[in-house]
Amino acid sequence: MGLLQGATELFPVSSLGHAVLIPSLLHWSFKQSDPSFVPFLVLLHLGTAGALLIVYRTQWVEIIRGFFTAAVRGRIEGPSERLAMLLLVGTIPAGILGVFFENQLKSLFASPKAAASFLVVNGVLMLGFEVLRRRAEARVAPAAKSRIEQEESFATAEQISFKAAALVGACQALALLPGISRSGVTIGGGLIAGLRHQEAARFSFLLATPIIGAAGVLEIPQLLSSSVPLAEYVAAAVLAGVAAYLSARFLLRYFRSGRLDPYGWYCAAAGAVSLALLTFRP
Amino acid sequence: MKGNSLAVGLVVLAVVFLVLAGLYYEGVIQIFVSDPHAQHHTTHAILFSVLAIASLIGANFARAKRTV
Repeated sequence: MGLLQGATELFPVSSLGHAVLIPSLLHWSFKQSDPSFVPFLVLLHLGTAGALLIVYRTQWVEIIRGFFTAAVRGRIEGPSERLAMLLLVGTIPAGILGVFFENQLKSLFASPKAAASFLVVNGVLMLGFEVLRRRAEARVAPAAKSRIEQEESFATAEQISFKAAALVGACQALALLPGISRSGVTIGGGLIAGLRHQEAARFSFLLATPIIGAAGVLEIPQLLSSSVPLAEYVAAAVLAGVAAYLSARFLLRYFRSGRLDPYGWYCAAAGAVSLALLTFRP
Repeated sequence: MKGNSLAVGLVVLAVVFLVLAGLYYEGVIQIFVSDPHAQHHTTHAILFSVLAIASLIGANFARAKRTV
């Protein structure tokens, strides 16, 4: 479960959707209604957030420094300062929607069938983002000789507007629906905002770190007060962290020239097959 | 002048957010909370504190723009 969570959290295939679907399809013994499930997920998220902090450790130092410098000065002067403010603007919409509507949405759509349906929607969204992107590429870089050259015609994370950052942040809130991928919709939002694929992934991962980390840290008291097999859970969190670290490294390399299409097709197919199995299997 | 009004507006907004953060933390406000019987709504309080800080940063940006 730790490996599954760590890998699917960053791949644009919905970790929550897989966390709801796979145990149900494979008849794993634990249930999401079990009181120990939330603390378990919290630790897995902390593992993922820790891995993202390690991947971007030097950038986070610059971002935090840039944030305080720009906030006190009241003016943005460098790319790190701009990125820090873009991340703040991008985090606010997801934070507001997450805090106010997370429980309502999760309780409404936490069934495996809903997760499978949203996984299909996630796949269609990924494919749709790439259709829009190809149109933009035909407009912006019609004479590009290679994919790398084509990608270089688009912006880096520091160059997008604050309105675009807020839009990408708001996209994050869609991931409250099990089956919709946080990284998928934020990478897609980044593509629409005119980012390179690799930069959209970087912005998505940077944007995810405070939200995932804060959600985990806030639940720590609940974890410590409940009687859970802590050593086993910590081992799962470490596995989640290792899987997330490897996933982030792979995806950043993949998105130099790769697209969201394979993940879109995977989600649409996995969602459809899961929906069929859940409907027709006795 | 426009920047000054914006800065003042954002400071007022920050104060409102801070008050809301306090009220959520004390459990006085129960709107959109998962457990209405909980003594403190820490997550909501943290959210409103972050919004207050963001508003103050926005006010500082608006003020700095005016003085340039």
